Amino acid sequence: MSSVHILGVGAIPWGKQTVLTQLQMALQAIDAALRDSELHWRDIDGVVAASSRFEGGMGWGLHANEIVQAASERGVPCINVGGACAAGAIAFQTAFSMIASGQSEAVVVIGAERMPKGFIPRPPGGADDITDNDFLRWVTMGLTNPAYWAMEAQRRIHDYRTTHESLAEAVMLMRKNAANNPNARFRTPVTVAEVLASPMVTDPLHLLQICPVSDGAAALVLCSERFAARTSRKSVQVAGVGIASGTYGDPAHRIPTVGGSVKSGVPHTSEVMSAAEKAMAMAGIENDDVDVLEMADNTAWHLLAWPEMLGFVEPGQGDWMLKNRRYDVDGDLALNPSGGFLSFGEATTAQAVLQICELVWQLRGEASGRQVPNARVGMSAVLGLGANGGSVVLKR
Amino acid sequence: MVTQMQADQVPIIPDLMELDSRGTHLIGTRCKSCRELYFPSTITCRNPVCDKGDLESTRLATSGTLFSYTIQYYQPPPLFRADNWQPYAIGLVDLDDGIRVSGILSGIAFEDIRIGERVILGVLPLYIDDSGCQRMTHAFFKLDDTVNYPGVEQ
Repeated sequence: MSSVHILGVGAIPWGKQTVLTQLQMALQAIDAALRDSELHWRDIDGVVAASSRFEGGMGWGLHANEIVQAASERGVPCINVGGACAAGAIAFQTAFSMIASGQSEAVVVIGAERMPKGFIPRPPGGADDITDNDFLRWVTMGLTNPAYWAMEAQRRIHDYRTTHESLAEAVMLMRKNAANNPNARFRTPVTVAEVLASPMVTDPLHLLQICPVSDGAAALVLCSERFAARTSRKSVQVAGVGIASGTYGDPAHRIPTVGGSVKSGVPHTSEVMSAAEKAMAMAGIENDDVDVLEMADNTAWHLLAWPEMLGFVEPGQGDWMLKNRRYDVDGDLALNPSGGFLSFGEATTAQAVLQICELVWQLRGEASGRQVPNARVGMSAVLGLGANGGSVVLKR
Repeated sequence: MVTQMQADQVPIIPDLMELDSRGTHLIGTRCKSCRELYFPSTITCRNPVCDKGDLESTRLATSGTLFSYTIQYYQPPPLFRADNWQPYAIGLVDLDDGIRVSGILSGIAFEDIRIGERVILGVLPLYIDDSGCQRMTHAFFKLDDTVNYPGVEQ
């Protein structure tokens, strides 16, 4: 199997987009990644798009096809993949396979999204009956997405005496990191008091502890070892990649379910933990080897719980790590030096791609103002609706 | 304890729950092969170690233990509908037959909610529909020590 490399990355600033269409956002991010790779569209022989359900794609999720029709019609294979908030990781896995198999030499991975305002609307075509979890969660109790995370946080407070201050410190760290990231949407530092003074949305989570929705785009250029050797650009090797779906008996009360059985021995958020395990095993690394973790922080709770579930620290140790600055960019494990989703907002299909962009900037030493000293190994972890997990390990 | 609905009360959706002399039961599904329980009702057994999946409808336990909860301070969007909406609690409950389900947590002051608390299922009106009927959903209530609930460990 040929090794796979990331030759270039690109992203546009995230926020509420008033000018660019979804397609224009995608094209701008790809142009940035191509410039970073010192390549042209004519060098590309594959496009994998993380498909949006909200707009574009001719109604069929054909976002890669739209992109090549706008940019470069040369018969390039187009693949469009779903995976909700993990779609970018699944697109990455797909491009990786195309190159590792020898079928393609240089593949663009793209995620671009303009999110609808407010609560993400319910998709059409549900059964709307007694077997339909998503129907039941709204009709019988109005259980919103952040409320699922709030119940995890409340249980953590019970199990580990996590404080409201810890949950606020997680946000403080993300904003501190984002202050030096020109692509982040929320770049103003916040204090614990300011986080706790923001409106309570779903106890114990305040507004600033829940990631909002954003518009954003990010792109990568992956290539073969042979292709990388022909260019002057210094590439980053893909050491490991894993995607997974959920395991029956997962203790997470997964959005949008209203009931389930918990089985002993099944890891919490099993789709992400399985994906991370695969990526780490493929890379041949242990937790101690990782310098930078870019993980999905849908809420402040995630920043406390996930590094523990991923094996970086003991269960319940996250609060101590945060308080003692061990998750800072110059700490034991740099946690979301980008500023995370709490600072970017969720642009569902683009966010897993953005995580990988940040890892590349970190490993190349180009993350000015938020650079992790001597970053050698970076890892991403992301969760998507439908029990989609994805993880990537990069080595310098 | 509510053991039957009044004439002008209707479940919020059909086949969600049944009331009998022991109280309110959610209706779930049991796999006759592996005995796995499901809520909501399902058309498939998804236990990966079971190959048969011969299913039957079943009534779930009426009581359980509070695993976690939240209080929602913003009114959820439609399809949720409630008259005179106020901030309210939602609980995640380990029912006594081993399945974990969520539902509105009612009749307990927010500051008195405790994880590990024993709770019992009941019904709660959410809104009055166009035909004047009260639409009832399932909800968890604090188990009252002074009441004897048939078949419930207190």
